[in-house]
Amino acid sequence: MPRQIEENIAIRRHRSVSYAKWGYLFIAPFFIVYILCTLIPQFLTVYNSFFESYMDGLKQVGPNYVGIKNYIALFTPDSNGVIGIIKYTQNTLIIWILGAVPQFVIAMLLALFFTSYRLNIKGQPFFKSVIYLPNLIMASAFAMLFFTLFSNVGPVNQLLLQTGIIDQTFDFFRSKVSVRLLIALMNFLMWFGNTTILFMAGIMGIDQELFESATIDGANSTQVFFRITLPLLMPIVVYAIITAMIGGLQMFDVPQVLTNRLGNPDRTALTLVMYLNSYLTPSKNYGMSGAVSMYLFIITAFLSMIVYRSMIRQGTSSRR
Amino acid sequence: MVSYVYLKHNAVNRKARLTLSLYRAAVYAVLIFLTILCLFSFYLLFVNSTRSNAQLQAGFRILPQENFLNNLVNAWNDVSISIPVGLKNSFFIAFLTAALTTYFSALTAFGIHAYNFKGRNFAFVFIMAVMMIPPQVGAVGFIQICFKLKLTNNYLPLILPSIAAPIVFFYMKQYMESVLSLEIVEAARCDGSNEFSTFNRIVLPIIRPAIAVQAIFSFVGSWNNYFIPALLLDKAERKTVPIMIAQLRSADYSKFDMGKVYMFILLAILPVIIVYVFLSKFIIKGVQAGAIKG
Amino acid sequence: MKKALSILLVLVLMVGLLAGCGDKTGTGTPVSPPSGSGTSTPAKTAEEGKVFNIYAWNEEFKGFFEKYYTVPEGITVNWIITPSDGGAYQEKLDAALLAQESASPDEKVDLFLAEADYILKYVESDLTMDVSTIGVTAAPTMYQYTVQAASDSQGRMKGVSFQCCPAAVIYRRSIAKDVLGTDDPAKVQEAISDWDKFDAVAAKAKEKGYYMTASYVETYRTFSNNCSMPWVDANNKLQFDPMILAYLKQAKEYLEKGYTLPAGIWDDEKNQQMFATGKTMCFFGPAWYYNFCMGNAMDPEKGCSGDWAIVQGPQAYFWGGTWLLAPAGTDNPTMLKDIMDTFTINEEVCSKLVENEMQFSNNTKVNQKFADDPNYGNEFLGGQNDTAVFVELAKNIKFEHKTQYDQLLNEQLPGVFLDYFLGNITEDQAYANYYQYVNEKYPAIITPDEA
Repeated sequence: MPRQIEENIAIRRHRSVSYAKWGYLFIAPFFIVYILCTLIPQFLTVYNSFFESYMDGLKQVGPNYVGIKNYIALFTPDSNGVIGIIKYTQNTLIIWILGAVPQFVIAMLLALFFTSYRLNIKGQPFFKSVIYLPNLIMASAFAMLFFTLFSNVGPVNQLLLQTGIIDQTFDFFRSKVSVRLLIALMNFLMWFGNTTILFMAGIMGIDQELFESATIDGANSTQVFFRITLPLLMPIVVYAIITAMIGGLQMFDVPQVLTNRLGNPDRTALTLVMYLNSYLTPSKNYGMSGAVSMYLFIITAFLSMIVYRSMIRQGTSSRR
Repeated sequence: MVSYVYLKHNAVNRKARLTLSLYRAAVYAVLIFLTILCLFSFYLLFVNSTRSNAQLQAGFRILPQENFLNNLVNAWNDVSISIPVGLKNSFFIAFLTAALTTYFSALTAFGIHAYNFKGRNFAFVFIMAVMMIPPQVGAVGFIQICFKLKLTNNYLPLILPSIAAPIVFFYMKQYMESVLSLEIVEAARCDGSNEFSTFNRIVLPIIRPAIAVQAIFSFVGSWNNYFIPALLLDKAERKTVPIMIAQLRSADYSKFDMGKVYMFILLAILPVIIVYVFLSKFIIKGVQAGAIKG
Repeated sequence: MKKALSILLVLVLMVGLLAGCGDKTGTGTPVSPPSGSGTSTPAKTAEEGKVFNIYAWNEEFKGFFEKYYTVPEGITVNWIITPSDGGAYQEKLDAALLAQESASPDEKVDLFLAEADYILKYVESDLTMDVSTIGVTAAPTMYQYTVQAASDSQGRMKGVSFQCCPAAVIYRRSIAKDVLGTDDPAKVQEAISDWDKFDAVAAKAKEKGYYMTASYVETYRTFSNNCSMPWVDANNKLQFDPMILAYLKQAKEYLEKGYTLPAGIWDDEKNQQMFATGKTMCFFGPAWYYNFCMGNAMDPEKGCSGDWAIVQGPQAYFWGGTWLLAPAGTDNPTMLKDIMDTFTINEEVCSKLVENEMQFSNNTKVNQKFADDPNYGNEFLGGQNDTAVFVELAKNIKFEHKTQYDQLLNEQLPGVFLDYFLGNITEDQAYANYYQYVNEKYPAIITPDEA
């Protein structure tokens, strides 16, 4: 290697080493605050989960060490053979998927529409702002509105009756399917705008020459999408799916307000965080809620891992 | 780049152009449908806030009625649930949260992006892993600590944690990777600027769109946050807007005024919408720019 | 420019953080002005605290307080209001009471309000104080059940009630005429004087195309008020009183046969039934219900004011009512006694409560005065003197077998069982769901599937 370059490297290395302390300095606030405000509480939660600790009226029961009793209680079937936490996990995932599938499909379609030169959609800034708006509304207010809309004497029922689609009021809140769909619809409305813009950014980052050469080679738009766009977009899609899933597993506000905290009918709309929350009020049951928290963490990590692995494999296999 | 594609399609025959128009019409239809879906809830909220409690109890209506001012006066002047106070509190917390989050996430991202120090990779992976942990896992413990330290009715526990926000950090890092080249930093060093001042004067302006994007996200998130504030704030003059809204719906029979409730909600959402409209240009630009390779 | 901006930012941050720290005290909601026609004498405040903290779950008492009570000079009244939804109010209250000893004088709880559903928890605990120590005793004009409710197992009274809420059956006169042939309260009462008769009338109403009630939860409280055993036994095991089981049976039957609607107590679906076009014969509730919550029935165009009347119905019960409880360690005992006396034995104030606020006071003498008044009647009820009905009803109200768990056990029971009532799940599944709910809310209770 020429001596000048060697020298430069040496100077650079020297320089970057001497600036290293700035690196530490800059990331320090993050880590300090994280340890204080998040890590320590997280350890506390885990710690709590091995104790029996709750309020009985005005008396504090515990904390008494009980080992994994809380976890066992979590997985004990009730008098009907139903294991609560498994059911609530199913609820959470089903409701999430019901909302996430349309969210991703429509977001992708919209992203393609907006970025397509052929289509040349006008008024894009307007549309983009609008699809973002539902994200701003408070989940509780949103749920309240939906509650009024779909009640037995609400406009949706009235409309369906008037047009003869149904001949008896349909109780949207007593059918497992309709309640879940309503929650999924709200989740969809609140998040699809976000995902659309994300995908748009990704598509616009793809080199235009790829599209051009593909079109020269005679590829039609479907082929272009599946062979070029989607594979190149994969990292963003993975990011979107994983962050959406993490958010989905934490679903709370909407079902809580819509079902008035009960998760009915028959606890089929009770999500994991609703379950966690129900242990906190009024009895401050840190033992059980700690156990549910740990479960939530493990499931999140596990599912994220699966999604990440499977999509990365898919991404690399479809790339030439 | 654009011209080639256009030329090719201009040469296409009429039939294809017709298909294209139909396709375009379909797309507009879908867009309009989605627009209606999105705006409908806001419209409904507005309509309901123009109706009195009696009118609301009488049933659903799609057109506004005449009680807007009435409800507005009632809601604004409500003695026990002071929406002006709530707005002030919420704004204070949300603004500081947004400021701290964006600033420190950018700082941390810059720290990892620009400096080569021992443990740099570990720090990065650590933060990514942390991102996966749902906040509820720590929430219970956090509340316990706050109670023990008598930090209720205090905004510190609501604002301080925003300094450590892994998702925002991740976004800033990605953004810096695509738009921030280290040469600029080198140049600044040569000019004699110290690292901190380089960050503030040079780096921050470059990543402005990213900051705008994350600022609005965290502002909205903080504004709408209910779970932890509800557990920590109980003094009337310290409550935030979501807590006040939840309070409204308790069955206080003698003052049960749904018109007022809807007006409250409308007033609660308005500031967020205003901030959003201001920053939305940046959002779109920022998100798009974040992914374009440098 | 940019430098200035960043300096500004840092300054704002600093100011913000500093301002946000620290818990400001004493800047409560506006002091209640000493207006109003209350005749209470200002208490001696020399040695007492300057701040009077009142905990409540809604504004109701605040309204009466500001109108009829004169706050002594120099005292600031602080209202800490937390809605009772889902037990939130109790949580805030508990936290404050548990911290009472170590709290500063300005932070101490001086008075708190409680409802029947959870009053026991506070009455039995040492965190409330025997009010005889501050000179408050059970006056002969107080209703016995209110004294019972406020007394612990050793008979020590921990507070007083200012508001009784005996509840009646509010029936539609015109529908009663159609179904029973008469709308005369005495005859209607005869026709529904017990549950079997009530069920029979429900069947008759159905034949004529009417609903007996507009909500499947409507009668729950009537049953739960009249239980003969508490929700948990001596070992904290959950037990279902026959009355509760009777409710479960009735709700299922009524929904199956179409005698009622699958609506909640406050739902739109039930409210729609209050119009003139409504087809429901009976609503259950106290005075505050028909005076404030039946807005649709009072609607000038679509309502049917005057087409109603009240009777005791199958069983006497009460819904609501507020007790003023004395927290131990308050630094304002004299003012506390004064407040309690004002709203219970002060006849002028109690009369105002009845006349102006349409309340049923905790003063038998005052209530009787109105009951005996031939000119006193309620327009909504077609001129009927409702106080007279309630005065009789109140004699039969029971307050027994309460536990500290009642509020949430009662609050959600009908909701949890609704799917079973509608035939969507089995009875076993419904019970399983209820036990699950109980375990979440009250881990101290042992449910049958844990035994």
